[in-house]
Amino acid sequence: MFDFDATLPIMALQFLLLTYILNLVFYKPLTKALDERDAYVRENEVDARERLSKAEKLVKEYELQIAGARRESQSILEQAQADAKNINAQKTAEAQQQVQSEREKAAQEIQQQKEAAMQSLEQQVDALSRQILEKLLGAELVR
Amino acid sequence: MDNLALIGMASIVIAGLTITVGSIAPALGEGKALAQALSAIAQQPDEAKNITRTLFVGMALVESTAIYCFVITLILIFANPFWNYFIEKAAG
Amino acid sequence: MEILDGLTVINSFTLAELEVGEHFLWKIGNFSVHGQVLITSWLVIGLLVLASVAASQNIQRIPSGIQNFMEYALEFIRDLAKSQLGEKEYRPWVPFIGTLFLFIFVSNWGGALVPWKLIELPSGELAAPTNDINTTVALALLTSLAYFYAGLSKKGLGYFKGYVEPIPILLPIKVLEDFTKPLSLSFRLFGNIVADELVVGVFVLLVPLFVPLPLMALGLFTSAIQALIFATLAGAYIHEALEGHGEEEHG
Repeated sequence: MFDFDATLPIMALQFLLLTYILNLVFYKPLTKALDERDAYVRENEVDARERLSKAEKLVKEYELQIAGARRESQSILEQAQADAKNINAQKTAEAQQQVQSEREKAAQEIQQQKEAAMQSLEQQVDALSRQILEKLLGAELVR
Repeated sequence: MDNLALIGMASIVIAGLTITVGSIAPALGEGKALAQALSAIAQQPDEAKNITRTLFVGMALVESTAIYCFVITLILIFANPFWNYFIEKAAG
Repeated sequence: MEILDGLTVINSFTLAELEVGEHFLWKIGNFSVHGQVLITSWLVIGLLVLASVAASQNIQRIPSGIQNFMEYALEFIRDLAKSQLGEKEYRPWVPFIGTLFLFIFVSNWGGALVPWKLIELPSGELAAPTNDINTTVALALLTSLAYFYAGLSKKGLGYFKGYVEPIPILLPIKVLEDFTKPLSLSFRLFGNIVADELVVGVFVLLVPLFVPLPLMALGLFTSAIQALIFATLAGAYIHEALEGHGEEEHG
């Protein structure tokens, strides 16, 4: 069981040979593959991070634009509301003015007609009163 | 009893004693290591994986003490260096 | 002489058809070789090389199948080496530590999972290559050479200054350590695998059905841990040689 013989050096040589062969067919190619994959993944990661930052920048830009547009639309809306209010007020004032003036005109006309009617009435009163006088006093006396 | 019988008897008795006594200390040590590892895992369950791995490696190292005793036992029983000497002496 | 016969019976004790200490000897010139160890080790090596070739033959950016599996193994090994040797030094040592891990792991599991008993040999039996002390000592000695090489190539002869660095009085202990390191490495691996196979063998002898299964599962677990430990300790020793004898990491 504890007898040493030529198995020992043979085994040692065999093992060194195995190390050499495995170094050629296992460690070197697979280590290379692992390192390449690491490099590839790292590269991709850097690339992806760059793209992500670019996308984030774009998003920020667009958000800025959207905010600007919203502000603009808000201001346009306010402008339009103000305009509408103005126009409304103006039209109302105009209409009121027109109504006022028409009413005044009508009142004036009424006044005029009233005056004219009064005048003709007075004339009639005069003529009637004269006729009454003539009838009462006689035509010679009146003149 | 002649020398050969004495050597055979002594070898076998000592072989049994070697593995008996040689198992006690590593067993105690492994128990202690396991207890420590369990309390460590109880304190830090997140590190359980790491602790377990170290525990196994450490336990195997502790156990090598018992394995050395076992090898000595094997030598005593299967490759006793004195047998050949005395067999030659008895034959010659 | 009757007692003598009894002893030889003990010496070649057959345990549940698990022959301890029997070898399928080959003669090459004046040297004898453990044939069953070499046969299984060739199978293990062949399996590893085949899997590697299959994995690296057609390398895709998005891995699938065997490539994915072997990449997982490679990443595991790289993490292991990195955690032991540090980010800066680990790359040139990945093949050595990784091959240690893979070879031991596949050997252990091959020995435990493949029913080698079905193949008859003239003597001895097929089992895990790490079941033989020659294999484990070979691996442990290579580890020793590796850390000497690491220290010498990093610091030149100044590496040996590390032996008297904190205080020269520790010199004998440090020299002794260079011997105990491969000894403990090889005996730990050998003992674990043999113990596992013996325990399973004894249980199969006592209760042939189902009862040995949990033990076999435990054996698989220990085998994997042992492979991990061998590789980890090899990495730790190499790291120690690279960094100087400052920190003691010894198992």
